[in-house]
Amino acid sequence: MNSSDSCTCKSETLAMTTTPMQTWCDPYDLDTALGAGTIFPCLNLEFFLAKEKNSAVCGNPTLSAEDKLLTQIYQVSFGINDLTLYLDTHPDCEQGLSLFKELLRKRLDLLAEYAKTAHPLTQLSIVTGTPEATSYGWDDGPMPWEGGHN
Amino acid sequence: MWSYEKRLQYPVKINKTCPKTAQLIISQYGGPDGELSASMRYLAQRYSMPVKKVGGLLTDIGTEEINHMEIICAMVYQLTRNLTPEQAKTAGFDAYYIDHTSGLWPQAAAGVPFTALEFQSKGDAFADLYEDLAAEQKARTVYENLLRVIEDPDVRAPLKFLRAREIVHFQRFGEALEMTKEKLDSKNFYYFNPEFDKALLQKP
Repeated sequence: MNSSDSCTCKSETLAMTTTPMQTWCDPYDLDTALGAGTIFPCLNLEFFLAKEKNSAVCGNPTLSAEDKLLTQIYQVSFGINDLTLYLDTHPDCEQGLSLFKELLRKRLDLLAEYAKTAHPLTQLSIVTGTPEATSYGWDDGPMPWEGGHN
Repeated sequence: MWSYEKRLQYPVKINKTCPKTAQLIISQYGGPDGELSASMRYLAQRYSMPVKKVGGLLTDIGTEEINHMEIICAMVYQLTRNLTPEQAKTAGFDAYYIDHTSGLWPQAAAGVPFTALEFQSKGDAFADLYEDLAAEQKARTVYENLLRVIEDPDVRAPLKFLRAREIVHFQRFGEALEMTKEKLDSKNFYYFNPEFDKALLQKP
């Protein structure tokens, strides 16, 4: 190395950070994902004082059919939430896109079924789930913050 | 625009009244690194972002932060909805009770009201994205501080969920930074402000 090389000043990449782009990793099942707060095992970085395995919605055998349906809505919708952010920065990822569309379809069906058997969670599901209903529907069921259903 | 879905992003079902816990958790509603600040920060910054996909990400994360604000509010509500006059007096919630009874109002744990001074919208993509990265880290710290002192498993489960989301958002903002860098000359990322000196930005 000569002296002129050693003091060459290249400004390129200085004063700027770099983040590695996430690569696709096989996602958790949707039940685990909701408990972990992400569908991606590679982004599940636990805190040492919060390692207990618990899930507020899952693994309860006494759930009614209605609550089981709602649990599925929580899980599928969260999968969509996490995939949305992933696809915002990885719009060309085929695996991500295919799972995203699969979950969107599933969610549409679940919301319609829940509107039919319980009450509508979205206004769209008033017409997809209970097209013959004559009542308003939107005021049915508990308010979400009451914790009445999960 | 937004439309409402009648459920929380993560279920909250807390049976045990605990005004002290409510008084700590309320910081993630109206505190300096709270969810209200987070949503307002991202939803304010997105309009002038020079990279369309980054504006999209800010919209989606800002929307998720509104969901998180609702989770925190539901927790505070459920922790205090059956508050007795005796608990109001003695359980560390007295000052809040005098001003708000058991209604919800955005403030920090130490009583400082929510203010837009807690976040920035600088009109400069790098400055804003670094603010966003820092915001996610600070919120993660708050959730860890809460997890250190709160024992009720009904309260811990949603707190753990919210902490995990901060880490995912941090990764996505880092990726947004990479997407912004791609549009600029790596020899000098600071030659101009891509949100203001738009004529100098390479068209995508």
